[in-house]
Amino acid sequence: MKDIADHLFDILENSVKANATKVNIFLEIKKNIFFCTVEDNGSGIKDIDVTDPFVTSRKTRNVGLGLSLLKKAMEDTGGFLKIYNMEKGGAKLEFEMIISHIDAKPLGDMASVFVDAIYSWPTVDFDIIGRIGCKKKPIFRSVEIKNIFSYFEMQHNEVRNFIYYSIKDELEKAGINFQFKI
Amino acid sequence: MKNLEELKKIKERVKRDLDLRAGKHRVKIVVCLGTCGIAAGARQTMNTLVDCINSSGKSDIIVTTSGCAGFCEQEPMIRVQVEDKEPVVYGKVDPKAAEEIFEKHILNGEIVGKYLFSKGN
Repeated sequence: MKDIADHLFDILENSVKANATKVNIFLEIKKNIFFCTVEDNGSGIKDIDVTDPFVTSRKTRNVGLGLSLLKKAMEDTGGFLKIYNMEKGGAKLEFEMIISHIDAKPLGDMASVFVDAIYSWPTVDFDIIGRIGCKKKPIFRSVEIKNIFSYFEMQHNEVRNFIYYSIKDELEKAGINFQFKI
Repeated sequence: MKNLEELKKIKERVKRDLDLRAGKHRVKIVVCLGTCGIAAGARQTMNTLVDCINSSGKSDIIVTTSGCAGFCEQEPMIRVQVEDKEPVVYGKVDPKAAEEIFEKHILNGEIVGKYLFSKGN
């Protein structure tokens, strides 16, 4: 994938396929480290190494690349990827990238990831959590948009743009605005 | 979250606008958004189609997504389902191709042979 945004969208699709109805995404950039966690309330992962490209829940073939590609992208920079089931149910994915590493991919358009997710999977709630000051706080909750607009109304350009720029704004305030840094 | 007041005003405007245009969906475009699609740039293709729909002012066309179709080397792929016509699948649809297909096929009913992958079920 050309940037982290594409990888993240791919990961969100995994949660949706696991029948999650709520996905929480935490994003943080601290000094030269980009850290992200994705928690969902889906059916969780099996007790095998799901980051192996030959392990997949797909039925048409036995190759699933999403997680293994992201894992490689992170490890190439000295970062990591971990995925496990949570006690309360659902799965949690954590990954970290060292931004100053020469092989670090750009973040890409992170706001568009959430806009695309909300439009592709309207029955799933997505919450973005960021760090404001020292606390972790939700900076965007798709359920707030759905409380105001119907899915049909959301198709209107003005609404879509508003959602996109709101998310972009909140992400910047939470410090997610890095592209490259040497 | 930004200004909830602002959002409510937008809702008023949007509601009036959409009430005027209410109608059934004549065309459904399905964009493959599996890992292969995303890696090939299908999100840009999808956003281009959404922009085309908005510029055209038509309210009877929707874009939805699906997972991998199994023909990964043809990604990005889109399926165009026009009411009462057989579905048409296009391959290697980059944003430029998406605009061409939107204009020629979706607006004018003319299938674009250059990107055609398959027709019918």
